[in-house]
Amino acid sequence: MEIIKSKDEYDVIVVGSGAGGGMATKTLSDAGIKVALVESGPYFDPANPDQQTQLKWPWESPRRGAGTNRAFGDFHMSYGDWSIDGEPYSSEDGTDFKWWRSRMLGGRTNHWGRISLRFGPKDFKSKDYDGLGENWPISYEDIKPYYDKLDKLVGVYGTKENMFNEPDGFFLPPPKPRLHELFYIKGARKSNVKVMPSRLSVLTKRINNERGICFYCGQCDRSCSVYGDFSSSSCLVIPSLKGGMVDLYVNSMVNEVLTDNNGRANGVSFINKENGKDYKIKGKIVVLAASACATARILLNSKSKAHPNGLGNSSDLIGKYLHDTTGAGRGVFIPELLNRKIYNEDGVGGMHVYSPWWLDSKKLDFPRGYHIEIGGGMTLPQYGIGWNPNEFNKFFGLRTGGYGDSLRDDVKKYYGSTIYLSGRGEAIPLKENYCEIDPNTNDKYGVPVLKFRYKWSDNEFKQAKHMQDTFEELAYNMGGIPLGNKPTKKDNYGISVPGEIIHEVGTTRMGNDPKKSVVNKYERLHDVDNVYVVDAAPFVSQADKNPTWTIMALSMRTSEHIISELKKQNI
Amino acid sequence: MKRRDSIKTMFLGSLGATLTLKSCITSEDKLMLDQVWQYNYGRTYEELKWDYKVLTGKFFSNTELKSIEKIANIILPPNDKGNIKDAGVVELFEIIAKDFSTPAHNEYGEKVLRRGLIVFDEICNIRFGLKLLDCNDIQIKSVFDDIAFSDNKDEDLQEAIRLFAVYRGMVLTGYFTSEIGINDLGYKGNTPNIWDGVPEEVLKEYSVSYDEDWISRCVDQSKRNDLAEWDEDGNLLT
Repeated sequence: MEIIKSKDEYDVIVVGSGAGGGMATKTLSDAGIKVALVESGPYFDPANPDQQTQLKWPWESPRRGAGTNRAFGDFHMSYGDWSIDGEPYSSEDGTDFKWWRSRMLGGRTNHWGRISLRFGPKDFKSKDYDGLGENWPISYEDIKPYYDKLDKLVGVYGTKENMFNEPDGFFLPPPKPRLHELFYIKGARKSNVKVMPSRLSVLTKRINNERGICFYCGQCDRSCSVYGDFSSSSCLVIPSLKGGMVDLYVNSMVNEVLTDNNGRANGVSFINKENGKDYKIKGKIVVLAASACATARILLNSKSKAHPNGLGNSSDLIGKYLHDTTGAGRGVFIPELLNRKIYNEDGVGGMHVYSPWWLDSKKLDFPRGYHIEIGGGMTLPQYGIGWNPNEFNKFFGLRTGGYGDSLRDDVKKYYGSTIYLSGRGEAIPLKENYCEIDPNTNDKYGVPVLKFRYKWSDNEFKQAKHMQDTFEELAYNMGGIPLGNKPTKKDNYGISVPGEIIHEVGTTRMGNDPKKSVVNKYERLHDVDNVYVVDAAPFVSQADKNPTWTIMALSMRTSEHIISELKKQNI
Repeated sequence: MKRRDSIKTMFLGSLGATLTLKSCITSEDKLMLDQVWQYNYGRTYEELKWDYKVLTGKFFSNTELKSIEKIANIILPPNDKGNIKDAGVVELFEIIAKDFSTPAHNEYGEKVLRRGLIVFDEICNIRFGLKLLDCNDIQIKSVFDDIAFSDNKDEDLQEAIRLFAVYRGMVLTGYFTSEIGINDLGYKGNTPNIWDGVPEEVLKEYSVSYDEDWISRCVDQSKRNDLAEWDEDGNLLT
């Protein structure tokens, strides 16, 4: 095998350019530190007309945007989804896990929902409240300064609400609710469900002169060509490249962290996907941000004399405590919204209002909460529109199906009359839910792949049941009719397959005790003093929030710690 | 530069960006570019290769395509707002048949779309001794009257009913994702604008309103260009 070694030694090698890696790259390189950023996918910039999908019409795709190549449709901005050719993974019999991978500069931050929620004080210490899972070794106060900096650096809209576990920040003003969101507000208030403006990292107002302001096309999932939404590539990596301190390696799949005779890291090896050759680069510090499961895979595949069980794995906990957000949903038909007067209501790429967790778990039969996301409106038609043009006829005792000119009117009549409610909840991390190396299978680059074992527990099923009960009540209180049959125990209350919500975290969890955790409170491996993990792998628990804001705040904190250690010459 | 040439140049550019280490564009690549030049929607190199395959192969015979056209025109007859020809509906059938051909799609083109034509032909043959294409509209409609509604429980027709629903779905989705269909629907958007809430007359129509406390904290669009500044408690000052 030909291995090509680079001559340079970097101060820091960052693996992965998503939320965590992008933030580390920016923070470190801004401090004058020489960084190698190694990304497994190609260069990506949504302002490049050859890569842009924003503002495309469905007919600009030969398949009208259908999801043949990209799971969420042709215009969705993720290179890769739950399946990638030549890079398989498996699940243990009787279990299922779906692993989303975005192979591109900026990773999944190009397609994410931009929902940017701080974890609250309770979320870092939830074991104190219900005895389940584990507390974080840090508290909200430790991370608050970084959330504050992040809000100002990256931008997030929202409102001050003074709720204990939904901390406020430095918010840009939110957009006004859409019509269907006013229906939701009405229904939620009737059901005593807290409802408030959503918190999305979309620029409703200028925060600097490098980024444009949102122009309300509703397509954040396509990654914004004027950088009006946050993507790691657009807002952190590309600006960092201009500073001259970052060497970017694209299409470079890291397979191993290299160590010296003493077991300290001294570089990484990667496969150049274009020529299939192996390369090595040297660095004083390695920062992993490949995504929770990919980071676990790299560490477990980094075996040496000093680390026979994989790098940093003396606790045998790498890959364990894998957990994803729970998800369940229900559509609601609103008869009042028939035959709508049509106007532009694209808005931002996501909801303008949402419901944070509003109940006290002590009074319920499941321990952790969930939030509710709201979808709907007169959205850009896409492949699938009109498929069942008059299925809601059944609610009026009319026949469904047919053919002829009347179908045109049916599509118009029902357009924009449906609201989608999605619950997103916190799962209890379990040691029994994990990913591990599958010794029998290699990917097309010859690297051993992951095998998953993940099952929801009763806590999650009960939570999903509560979601379904809530959705039904909300539906009626909005003046609507819940669609389809209400999911029951038989169908696990419609709970998502683990991995489907794409919030997987926890595979190198953080803690003070090296026997019970993989990284310390600065996200550094207990076993190796120059390897850090800044993606979602160190998460002790996932909260009923989306992970990105916390990944970035932690990555910023860890990067500042690295800067200070380098200055003190501790590393 | 002609539009076609400029798009070709862009494709070459995108290939250059994607294939960082591939030194030259092969003749196969050039052929591919010629075939897919009319589409420019941010594809990766692998996706371009797939599109090439989908756009250059042939699935349906010309006779089959004529049958699809006939069916589509009865499912959605032309009017002054638009027709299935301008919406490219028949072409979409051909593309989807080839596009949905991975194992995950379970041979959709063969087992669903072509199967539909076979089943519809069979029914026409039993009833009229003719293939669908040779029937007149009245004859075809009499068949559709039996297979276009899901409340028909005739066991012999269940497969045809299922397949007809797919044909109807394809025709409608093809129409309403085309330029002419989206104009017919009246969709407004997919264009830069400044959203500032639901129009007043719409709020009135539905007897809903913005409450003052909520709206007072929403964005003032006249100040969207002013650089955001906060006090130390996070109150927006600008």
